[in-house]
Amino acid sequence: MKTCIACGMPMENISDFAANDQGKDYCVHCSRPDGEMQSFEEKKENLTKFIVRTQGFDESAAGKIAENMMRKLPAWKKYFD
Amino acid sequence: MRVSTRQTQKSNTRKKIIETAYRIFSEKGFSVPTSIIAKEAGVSHGSIFVHFPTLNDLLICLLSDFGDNMGASLHMLAKKCYSVENLLKEHLNVLEEYEAFYSRLILEKNRLPDEAKSTFVIIQSTVAFHFSSVIDREIEKGTVKKLPIHILFNTWLGLVHYYLLNKEFFSDSNGSVIRRYRAELLSTYLNLIKKESEVYE
Ligand SMILES: [Zn+2]
Repeated sequence: MKTCIACGMPMENISDFAANDQGKDYCVHCSRPDGEMQSFEEKKENLTKFIVRTQGFDESAAGKIAENMMRKLPAWKKYFD
Repeated sequence: MRVSTRQTQKSNTRKKIIETAYRIFSEKGFSVPTSIIAKEAGVSHGSIFVHFPTLNDLLICLLSDFGDNMGASLHMLAKKCYSVENLLKEHLNVLEEYEAFYSRLILEKNRLPDEAKSTFVIIQSTVAFHFSSVIDREIEKGTVKKLPIHILFNTWLGLVHYYLLNKEFFSDSNGSVIRRYRAELLSTYLNLIKKESEVYE
């Protein structure tokens, strides 16, 4: 099974893929409305907001967690070298 | 493909180190020296470093096993149209399975190496992700009170952690605290967050 290169989510159903396209390596949550993959900054901001919303953490602490999540994913590796 | 005896031996040693470290860390905490782990596992101290060059590497390996199990269990539920009750039950199932290890983690988290600490926070974020997707749906349906997601999540985690961290008072033996209190914790929490017409029996 494919996992999203930008967030690690397993992609099982066609609706999990960006633009319902099983050829894509990233998921529906990591794509922009036009189907392109979000940028590093966009993804980091979205993840940070998500952590704040679900766990209530301070925004800068949440930002660090978001970076640590992204560090392990193929789409963002190059931003950490 | 034929696996050489040497390779089999190597992976057996690795497995022994992992199982022993998991047991010793759970019983005595993460500051137990690796020399003790080696002795208990019946392997040479040097071979620990072959498999795990640093304590952090060993911790990450143990944490990943716990995290993969938690992630996979909650993800399986996500595929069905599950309720908050089912999600919390599954959360407790996995915690019960790893209870001694998890209790050590929450007790000693601040003393862990940075990467191990960060791995643990990422695991909790995965739990929060599944929790929020269920709770969002239930709030929308009107079955759960419209309260901030993070407070709902932190209240649940805080409750469970309180019992785990005070095991000595909540349990008189080596029995599982989660097994003993799970029904009470679940029904009370659900009664707190559910809309009145949906009271959980
Ligand atoms: Zn994704």
